Amino acid sequence: MTSPGNEELAALLARCALSDQRAFEALYQATSAKLFGVAVRITRRKDWAEEVLQESFVKIWHNAGSYDRDKAAPMTWMTAIVRNRALDWLRRPREVQASDEVEALLANVPDEAPGPEDLAELSARSGRLHECLEQLGEDQKRSITLAFFQGLSHGELAVRTGKPLGTVKTWVRRGLDKLKQCLDGLDLK
Amino acid sequence: MNYTNPKIRDGLAAEYVLGTMPERARRRFEAQLKTSPRLRGAVSEWERRLTPMAAEVPELKPPRRVWQQIQRRIHGDRAPARAVNWWDNLGFWRAATGMMTVALITLGFFLTPAVTTPVAETSMMVVVMDDMQTRSPAMTVSWEAGEAKQKLLRLRVIGHAEMAPDTAWELWMLPGGDKPPVSLGLITTHELQTLPVPAQLGDSLDEAWGLGMTVEPAGGSPLGKPTNPMLYMGQCVKT
Repeated sequence: MTSPGNEELAALLARCALSDQRAFEALYQATSAKLFGVAVRITRRKDWAEEVLQESFVKIWHNAGSYDRDKAAPMTWMTAIVRNRALDWLRRPREVQASDEVEALLANVPDEAPGPEDLAELSARSGRLHECLEQLGEDQKRSITLAFFQGLSHGELAVRTGKPLGTVKTWVRRGLDKLKQCLDGLDLK
Repeated sequence: MNYTNPKIRDGLAAEYVLGTMPERARRRFEAQLKTSPRLRGAVSEWERRLTPMAAEVPELKPPRRVWQQIQRRIHGDRAPARAVNWWDNLGFWRAATGMMTVALITLGFFLTPAVTTPVAETSMMVVVMDDMQTRSPAMTVSWEAGEAKQKLLRLRVIGHAEMAPDTAWELWMLPGGDKPPVSLGLITTHELQTLPVPAQLGDSLDEAWGLGMTVEPAGGSPLGKPTNPMLYMGQCVKT
């Protein structure tokens, strides 16, 4: 992912690893709006997204020392933390979610984040990945974006799309294969 | 599942990162991740490939209170900020909701006797339960994973909790998915206590998503299921 400056963010993370509070605050200023957007998009609940963001930044602070810039861009690393945490929230036992549901009604959270089905929004910014997604079949692309943003399992995808489990599994597997080939620079033809 | 075949490994890593793996498979995969650097490598590769999808999501400024909460949680934390090697090994505490310090203290506390006995490698299950109202750690529970005849939970209540008259604290196993909570029994407010696990629950406990505690009428829930929302709750972490 690009901007705000990978170099800058990597440097801030390195300072966080040395317990530099001000670097941490700068990191939060630079990335929290993007990461909160991701958390809201996945959880679809602002109150949950706040929890997720909070836990993610505590984790980022503690684990900054294990960030390896050779493996991932800083924003990718942080986004993966937020996304994993958000998916964990969604996977909480239903029984527990139910009582939260009531709070949500009270909190009257507007659904500001557009749905993952809204593929038109997958526009130019993520460059290469976007191009590669465009090369997938409609069904493959839809399954992959739904799974990415909602953490749906094969079974849940089958229910959502109304297609047999086997079909959905094939869409996902082939879609991922094609994405990999495309992203890793092999010609698709 | 054969994790040594590179193609299978890569396919599994892809599904794991995407999130399509069913829950049980995911747990098994996570257990493998701990011991396989290659598998971890495959996962990082896929995170690098797929995560930019999130770049498309519009930015949204979080409320000020989020930063204040983060500050509170970090400053309440007296552990050295980096215990690097330890930390890496315990990477899989990831989900312990950032309550690392407490978890580490607890582990230190409970593991001490275990370490001195030369037993074959056993893994511990640890749960850091948060007070759902204050969002701060309120209780830790740990036990030895595996096939013990009789599992014993070690509980530690943090701070000075008080129980209202004519009520009871009931501990629940939260199996995950849409399965209902299962009672593990009543507990007290004592700082340190142990609770034997009903034999028939022993195996499923290691697989549970987490634990929860509710306040129930004296004697425990008359319905066999919680009559109140979870007061304390946390996710199981295998170490």
